[in-house]
Amino acid sequence: MLDALIDGLFLVLQWKAFSLMLVGMGVGFVVGLLPGIGGAATLALMLPFVFTMSPVEAFAFLLGMHSVAATTGDITSILFGVPGEGLSAATVVDGYPMAKQGEAGRALGAALMSSLVGAVIGAAALAVSIPIVRPLVLTFGSPELFMISVMGIACITSLSGLGARAQIKGFAMGFLGLLLSTIGQERQSGSLRFDFGLIYLWEGLDLIPVLVGIFAIPEIVDLAVRRTAIAGDRPAGKLGAGVLEGIKDTFRHFWLVVRCSAVGVFVGILPGAGGGVAQWMAYAHAVQSAKDAKDRSRFGKGDVRGVLGPGAANNSKEGGDLIPTIAFGVPGSGAMAILLGAFLIMGLVPGPDMLTKHLAVTYSMVWTLVIANVIAVLLCLAFLNQLAKVTLIRGSLIVPFVLLLVFVGSYTANNHIADLLVTLGFGAFGYLMMRFGWPRAPLVLGFVLGKLAETYLFISMSRYGFGWLTQPLVLVLIALTALVIAYPFIQERRQRIAKKAHAD
Amino acid sequence: MRISAASVFSLFLAAVAAYAVVSASAWPVKAALFPMVMGIPLLVLALVQLILDLRGKTGPAEGPAMDLALSADVAPEIARRRTIAIFAWMAAFIVLVLLIGFPLAVPLFMFSYLMLQSAAGWWRSLALTAAAWGFFYGLFERLLHFPFGAGFIQTWLGL
Repeated sequence: MLDALIDGLFLVLQWKAFSLMLVGMGVGFVVGLLPGIGGAATLALMLPFVFTMSPVEAFAFLLGMHSVAATTGDITSILFGVPGEGLSAATVVDGYPMAKQGEAGRALGAALMSSLVGAVIGAAALAVSIPIVRPLVLTFGSPELFMISVMGIACITSLSGLGARAQIKGFAMGFLGLLLSTIGQERQSGSLRFDFGLIYLWEGLDLIPVLVGIFAIPEIVDLAVRRTAIAGDRPAGKLGAGVLEGIKDTFRHFWLVVRCSAVGVFVGILPGAGGGVAQWMAYAHAVQSAKDAKDRSRFGKGDVRGVLGPGAANNSKEGGDLIPTIAFGVPGSGAMAILLGAFLIMGLVPGPDMLTKHLAVTYSMVWTLVIANVIAVLLCLAFLNQLAKVTLIRGSLIVPFVLLLVFVGSYTANNHIADLLVTLGFGAFGYLMMRFGWPRAPLVLGFVLGKLAETYLFISMSRYGFGWLTQPLVLVLIALTALVIAYPFIQERRQRIAKKAHAD
Repeated sequence: MRISAASVFSLFLAAVAAYAVVSASAWPVKAALFPMVMGIPLLVLALVQLILDLRGKTGPAEGPAMDLALSADVAPEIARRRTIAIFAWMAAFIVLVLLIGFPLAVPLFMFSYLMLQSAAGWWRSLALTAAAWGFFYGLFERLLHFPFGAGFIQTWLGL
């Protein structure tokens, strides 16, 4: 095994594979900045180029591109409040307020360093877990996967409001997100739901226009209203100085970064959950680890922990994603499904062969994840000071560029003009949500998880009736979900008691 | 009782939920189950929030966590005017794309916005428009060969 690990490293370091990885990283860097054309779409676009490559070269090229796109997605999230990679929206929530406070450098430093730590942990998990992951994955059937989806939504929702009454809005938005995910053709019966007679809606709403509309447009409107630079009138000197601070933050909150990386790996392993879920769950975990309600209230206003968690999970999930793809040929996400196509083009069959005959190729993927991320982070760190200065440019000059990113990005996701209208519509809705204090995160997570949750629920009901509710692992997950919902209240109550005791 | 913009928003959500539940009730069970299970609690929660809004009951420490807040530094009247203006620009961009397609709409929108809204001056507007178009053309047309559809006008003229 150690031989294969070393062989894998040398395979990646061969000049042709290494050069192709650098080319892939260059492409990934640029497309990572655009909201619509994210990692999965770029993988699909670049797939035809791998026909003439060897397996190691092809995976160095594709994985180098994919992992860097995930990293650079955080840059636009922090600088402009526009989720660069379609699924890096969770970084916006605290990253953009930091940029507004003149701490763009610190936020970028934290995001990139936590991404690097996350990527290394993800790659290590991939290297270690391949032989042992099979029984774990097989333990999770549809009932358990449904409950994990419910727990993910409950986690975000319960933490999205301060106080009992604000929880009403959080849960309402979670349900609305789930409801929106039901638009289009129902998979089991073929019935059309909420299609309003429009063929466009038969496939349901696409994630990118919804996500970009809800998260990016309110920020653009706010910037256009303020007419200042993103960082307001703050002095330029503070921006660059923060990069080192952001890197230090990663190590100050190292265990949080490690835990959020573990969340990313776990969500990556689960089929269908994808990067967006990993980021939000890591974000929720970061919020949940706050000491008390007061500490929790700092999130959303520019708390560096809100950048570290999603940053780490965003990249660690790549390693997790690869585990079921390589070990069983079951892709964990859309991007991995496309990568599976690359396996077949290369004449490789995922499964036991990848753990025996082609183990060196498997480990070359592990090394690609690590090396690509190290290079990307080092390059980004070298230019971060310059990047952070973007937040000092007059807002009215930035707005048309960001609008371009938003609308071109939304369009390129599906090549459909109606996506522009959906983006604008959800942008207006997102703006009103912010205006009236409704949290956006539960809506997005509900929407992301809705289709999956419905499918898992349907399979569970068809196979077990209501009996699935009594399965041991499901019961544990139900208890955990209840705990997650009750946790903020328990924390508040404990704090009240402690305060009272202190006063006495 | 106080009818505010916030209560109208809650009412809108309740109406969406009610529509979803009523529509789903006419579908086969398989298709209706999930929308019903999500729609009913949404309706209840939106109605509860509507009542709270109408009674004007929102505690000071009960805002949303984990989300950004809009800036409150600009006078409401000016903020409203600027908000309408930026949404109008976005709508105009979409109309432009529909009429003349992305490759032409991008430079035209950039230049118009920079000249009229940003007051960036001729040279700066031209330079920034060229940069934006160069990025768009280089990435999508040259590198990715992305197929952008023609606008209505080109289609109508048979171009």
